[in-house]
This record gives sequence, structure tokens and C-alpha cells, in this order.
Amino acid sequence: MSGGRLRLSVNGRPTELADVPPEERLLDTVRWRLGLKGTKEGCRTGECGACTVLRDGHAVLSCLLLARDADGAAITTIEGVRSDPVGERVRAAFESAGALQCGYCTPGFVMALTGLLREAGRSTPLDELLEDLGGNLCRCTGYSTIVRAARAAREGLP
Amino acid sequence: MAPFELVAPATPDEAIAELGALGASDAVPLAGGTDLLFDLDDGRLAPRRVVSLRRLPWQTLDWNGPILTVGSTLPLRRLETDPEVRTRLPGLYTAVRAVGSVALRHQATLGGNLGRSAPASDLVPMLLALDAEIDLVGPQGARTVPVDQFVIGSRRTALRPAELIRSVRFPEPRPSAYLWQRVRPFRDISQMAVAVAYSPARARWRVAVAGFPPRPLLVPEVEDALGPVLPPARSDLDRGAHVLSTRAPIVGDKRASEAYRRQIVRPLLERAVRRASGEKAGS
Ligand SMILES: Cc1cc2nc3c(=O)[nH]c(=O)nc-3n(C[C@H](O)[C@H](O)[C@H](O)COP(=O)(O)OP(=O)(O)OC[C@H]3O[C@@H](n4cnc5c(N)ncnc54)[C@H](O)[C@@H]3O)c2cc1C
Ligand code: FES
Ligand code: FES
Repeated sequence: MSGGRLRLSVNGRPTELADVPPEERLLDTVRWRLGLKGTKEGCRTGECGACTVLRDGHAVLSCLLLARDADGAAITTIEGVRSDPVGERVRAAFESAGALQCGYCTPGFVMALTGLLREAGRSTPLDELLEDLGGNLCRCTGYSTIVRAARAAREGLP
Repeated sequence: MAPFELVAPATPDEAIAELGALGASDAVPLAGGTDLLFDLDDGRLAPRRVVSLRRLPWQTLDWNGPILTVGSTLPLRRLETDPEVRTRLPGLYTAVRAVGSVALRHQATLGGNLGRSAPASDLVPMLLALDAEIDLVGPQGARTVPVDQFVIGSRRTALRPAELIRSVRFPEPRPSAYLWQRVRPFRDISQMAVAVAYSPARARWRVAVAGFPPRPLLVPEVEDALGPVLPPARSDLDRGAHVLSTRAPIVGDKRASEAYRRQIVRPLLERAVRRASGEKAGS
């Protein structure tokens, strides 16, 4: 890692950061260095999904990723989700289903669902898709509207 | 967390050299990090150097006739989404899906699961039942070790200093199944798990149990009891379940008592064997 510089593409923008310590989590880089506070910290132990971002198009847990181990990757956070057609669909589905209460879990759910639908479109059966969303927890327990949003976002995809 | 340097070599030789230049506790490999970061956070490990394996050309999945070879750094999610894995090694598919969440599996790897070698690993018991072989590469060259000899105990493996897991080989497609008991069905640690597979080549069932210390285990007496055919005779399945429940070296720990485990393992085995035999669970 030349000169300790970290190169990422964040929401489509090339980003170069100096002096990121090796132990820093991508979650902290995104929130505190880049000021993108949409990505949430729930548990910091991989169990809640609130910190979900896309790395090269796939959902990952930014609390369990060393920022510098993501060197060279394209990161999409909730702030950039609208530039992805699937992401925008998912965001709109959450909005129209009213799939949020306090909203803390919402960015993680939107990113996780975007990742899943980008991977497989509608080819994943609905029950499997919902099972695959199980890595995200909603402490307000607003699951029925989240399920409705997931179903709506999946409809009409190829 | 003690400070460390992070390096990301591009070739296996460089990775081995980076590890070998320091002592085993001073340099550790990093794959998905979903286990290692916890050991770094709580100070169980305090290496001076962490060697990321992400640039190594090991994120591979190859079918060569009946043989499946999985690169050690392939994210588990890519193993689970291979359509042939799902049909030819259904127990492996199920076991992989039992690990954490989709996002976790986009990071976590088979190599990391073996490197951690947890008593409650969901993958080690299935690898045992499938007779997986572990390809290793290190300062002294390459060697292959059966998974049963690779896994020794929690965080204890046959890895030598600066040696890396390169790939895992599955010798043949096998009717197989994986079932577990947890407090919560997903995203929890298995209290008891049973992996079964039927080897057509050897005309033999393979049965492994996991979830308790010191490590996941094959239980040959149960395999003997199940007999040489798929599906097994009803009386052989009864006998296998009885042998497993009464004679396997099952112990209790903080997550479940020995008595509970001995009771729960019976229906787990029966259902797993039925599922591997193509019948619906509970039928
Ligand atoms: C929320 C959560 C849920 C989980 N659920 C489960 C579960 O249900 N079932 C389960 O089995 N596990 C589970 N795990 C544990 C973990 O995710 C798995 O063990 C995973 O497979 C580890 O892979 P990794 O690539 O992240 O390993 P790392 O954390 O990168 O590495 C783990 C260990 O292996 C060593 N290592 C890694 N790769 C190699 C290699 N190629 N050669 C030699 N040594 C290597 C590392 O040095 C380290 O000691 C869970 C973890 C979390 C955080
Ligand atoms: S904050 Fe990352 S999974 Fe909870
Ligand atoms: S809306 Fe509050 S945590 Fe989900």
C-alpha cells in the first residue's frame, strides 16, 4: 500500500485518503473522514446490518472491513444509491411502502436489498430473498412494511 | 488493538515470505476478517504485521469432472451461488448458507473458517462428511492434508509457520445434508449440528457432528450402523441414531448441556439422512 494512501471510488467519485491507520474500519472512514453519516453503526460486530455498503456492487459489512483492505474498491453508500437503477427502485419502494419508523436500520436494508436484487434480479424466489434479508435487524420491528417494500422492489425486475 | 502494518502481496510466494520473515505470532494472514478482527480487537492476537490475502489469485471455483476445487479466499457467497454446488453438493450449499448473513458471506471465506477452526463451525463438519482435502502451501512447498487431520481444536490446525491454505478439494458429488439446532435458526451459533453425506464410490455414509468442544468429529460407528446403501434401511437408521446419541463423545458446555445435545442429535441425524436420501425432512 504505497505511502499509506488509500484509494477508493466512493459513490462514483475517486477518493484518495492519506494516513488512514491499518486498523480503521471502513465504517469509520465513511462516516468520520468522508462525512457520509447515512451509513449507521448498530452493533459493530457483524450482527445487525446497519453498516451495510456495497463493495464492487456486493453488500458487505463496513464494520468488519479494514478500510485499507478495501484499497482500490468501488464503494456505494446510501448517499449514492440513487445513481444505481436498482438502488433507486429499492429506495422508492421503501418510500412508498412507508418502510421506516426511526429510520436507523433503513440505509442498511436499502443497501442489502439493492445488493441482492443486483445479484439475481427476480430469479431468487421471494421466500429466499426475504431469508437473505435476515442479516438486517430493525429494532423498531417494522418488518411487515419492509417485506412489502422488498416485494414491490422485486416486482418488474428482469 | 495494538498497532500493526497491513500488507497485501500479489503472489503466494510473497505472502509466504511476508509471513515467514516474522514469527508466527507476529505475522498473521487476513482473508475476510470476520473472525480475525475480533481476535485483534480483544488482544488475543497482537501481530506486528497483518498479511491480506485479497490480491492472491485464489478466489476460484473449478469443477473438473466430479472434483470441485474451491480457492481458499473465494467469498462464501460465491460458493453458495454456484448452481452446481447446490445440486451436486447440497449439504455444502446448506452449510454455507447457515453462516452469518449474505453480507457476511460476501466477506467470509472457506480458508478463514478452516483457519479459525471453531468447534461450532458450520463448514468443518460438512467438509468432514464430504472427505474434503486441504491444499496447503508454505516455505517448504505444497502438501495436501485431509480435513480430519487439518482441524485439531479451536484455533488449532495442522498449519505450519508461514503456511497458507490455498484451496479445498471435494472428491465427488455426494447426496448430503446439514442440519443444526440453535436458539435462533439463523445468525446464531449452532448448539448441535449434524452433517451427513453418502459416498457412491465407497458405498458408505459419512456422519460428522459439531457444536461442542474440542472440534467437529466424524463418527465412524454411526457410519457402520447406517450400512452401505442409500437410503439406509429403517432399522439401520434407528440403530445409527441410537449409537450417535449414546456413544458419540458429545459433551456439554455453556451453550447446551450434554443431555440436551444427546437428545437433539437423534432427530437431527434422522432428518439429515432422510433429506440426503431425497425425502422431505420429517417424512
Ligand atoms: C456475525 C457473525 C456471524 C457468524 N456466523 C457464523 C456461522 O453461523 N457459522 C460459522 O461457521 N461461522 C460463523 N462466523 C465466523 C466467521 O464468519 C467464519 O468463520 C468465516 O468463514 C471466517 O472467514 P474469514 O475469511 O472472515 O476469516 P478471517 O477472519 O480472515 O480469518 C480467520 C482465521 O483464519 C486465518 N486464515 C484466513 N485465511 C487463511 C488462509 N488462506 N490460510 C491460512 N490461514 C488463514 C486467519 O489468520 C485467522 O486466524 C460468524 C462471524 C460473525 C462476525
Ligand atoms: S454495525 Fe456492522 S453489522 Fe452491526
Ligand atoms: S425503523 Fe427503527 S430500527 Fe428499523
